[in-house]
Amino acid sequence: MADIIVSILVSGLVLGSLYALMASGLSMVWTTLGIFNFAHGVSMTVGAYVAYEIAQRLGPDLWVGYSILLALVVMAAVGAAFEYLLIRPFYGRDDMVLVTIMTTLAGLTFLENGVLTIWGPRLKQLEPLIPGNISYGLVNISRQELIIVLVAPVILLALFLVLNHTQIGRAIRAVGQNQKSAQLIGIPVTRMFLVSFGLAAALAGLAGMLLAGVRLMTPTMGADPLMKALIVVIFGGLGSIGGSIGAAYVIGFLEAILIFTVGIYWTPSMLFLLMVLVLLFRPQGLFGAKNPSSL
Amino acid sequence: MINRPLAIAAALLLLLLLPLVLQGPYIRHLFILAFLFAIVAASWDLTLGLTGLFNFGHIAFFGLGVYTAGILTTQAGVDPWLVIPIAGIVAALAAFVVAAPTLRLRGIYVVLVTFAFSQLCLQVVMSQGDLTGGAGGIVRVPSLRISDYNFARDQRLGYYYVSLVLSLACIAALVAIARSPLGKTARAVRDNPEYAAARGIDQMRIRLTMLVISAIPTGIAGALYCIYFRVAAPEVFSFSTSTLILTMLLVGGAGSIVGPAVAAVGIVMISEYLEQFPDLKATKHMLLAVGIILVLRFFPGGLAQISANLFARSAKTVGATPERAP
Repeated sequence: MADIIVSILVSGLVLGSLYALMASGLSMVWTTLGIFNFAHGVSMTVGAYVAYEIAQRLGPDLWVGYSILLALVVMAAVGAAFEYLLIRPFYGRDDMVLVTIMTTLAGLTFLENGVLTIWGPRLKQLEPLIPGNISYGLVNISRQELIIVLVAPVILLALFLVLNHTQIGRAIRAVGQNQKSAQLIGIPVTRMFLVSFGLAAALAGLAGMLLAGVRLMTPTMGADPLMKALIVVIFGGLGSIGGSIGAAYVIGFLEAILIFTVGIYWTPSMLFLLMVLVLLFRPQGLFGAKNPSSL
Repeated sequence: MINRPLAIAAALLLLLLLPLVLQGPYIRHLFILAFLFAIVAASWDLTLGLTGLFNFGHIAFFGLGVYTAGILTTQAGVDPWLVIPIAGIVAALAAFVVAAPTLRLRGIYVVLVTFAFSQLCLQVVMSQGDLTGGAGGIVRVPSLRISDYNFARDQRLGYYYVSLVLSLACIAALVAIARSPLGKTARAVRDNPEYAAARGIDQMRIRLTMLVISAIPTGIAGALYCIYFRVAAPEVFSFSTSTLILTMLLVGGAGSIVGPAVAAVGIVMISEYLEQFPDLKATKHMLLAVGIILVLRFFPGGLAQISANLFARSAKTVGATPERAP
């Protein structure tokens, strides 16, 4: 019994960390730009494949961590380009929320099929950062999963510090709170959009690269995490990055528990049911502010 | 210079006579697909375009129609003809289920719930293998028959007319609804929710009604799609299907009902033409995605806007003012 509880805790932590990396970027883009980025899941896929490609080019002798670092830079550029091509032209339109849902969905289709065209449907795997497993008492975890569990809070703390204590972070939040005032005091609003999209894509990409060391990569690997991130941001309230991160761990543990109790097949339905219940009673999310934004 | 009723009558006559001219089963197959997708695109437009309800789970109603037909005909032995209306009812019931959590929500949250619902349907279909065949789907769905006449053996002539009639009936009904007081109310809810509320319009009721109405033709189209192809495969729930239909909606012009239906014919032709080259399958979806973005960027009103301009220009000669398209 104890070993089951421990393994539920471990897998919940791993899932929660991944979802937190995903959901924080999704939520940041929403708070800054008021855009829901459906291509966020595919950023994860692209990140994993870019890291894979770089690792292939650099050869097997070099530690995979360098490839991941390089891939993160590429992903930031991909995110910025995405904003420039698919979001910026529609800025200021009345129906911007709806239009950008469609453009990001189109971006999702484009990138997913682009990955399929370039790398093919064959399953691929990225070298884990550190191979091997760790057993300590009842805990049995691969080193890569341990890295995921440890890296996620560090990255999220860094994100928190950047958003709250640096000039650029405060500028991003200012744009999210009141775009016109931000513009008036001289914050380059459009550049902040570019930055937050780039940052979000890099965060999702990182989640993908870390996951690719544990599971096999496929062109559709981002679909399920996007779905989970979607449930997470509904639980946490879209407007709150902190709420999303908290909700990510809650959902991670819930999923781990559900998989052990009702089985893998019924887990998505149960999560969906929970999401519906949350929406019925607290439309602003579990940790969301009392007064949700009008959209 | 263009006479609208005459143009419509000519188009209908052309569609009725077309299979007599075009003898090949392949070209008829293209039209059957086009008619079915025209129903889905036009009915999606009723919620997304006309009512302004951010419904991104419309494909779920189609998929449910497909699987209702597949499961009932193969597992319960229900007659394929009977399954078509049943699928419409099942889709309408599903619309109630989706409506329960979404009606109180606004904007992006509606998108998230409806989208999550369609993904949930996919996951349930994949996991309930005993009933749905899982990833392999349901095969050997029985074909339509009238006593001894088997629709599977007539070079697709029967299916052409069945899908044509169904699609014309559904689209005529949708257009009638869009022009009725209900449709006008829905447009008011979309364009100015506060004013609509001030005039005593119950937004929740309108949205629920429209969601349920739009689900019925979609479920019907799904059932016929399943019976025609004689399989039910989980791909119907996929992003690609959604993107394909969204392209029709946008190219045709959101909110115009007929526009998406017309666009469906053209887009099915292009999409199926590219289908001949298996290597280009991914490229096809990439092209559709680029198409969506270009239309949104440069022709936000779609074909309906372009044709409205055309009609307006010919009307202008007699002094009418051009009508503003939605």
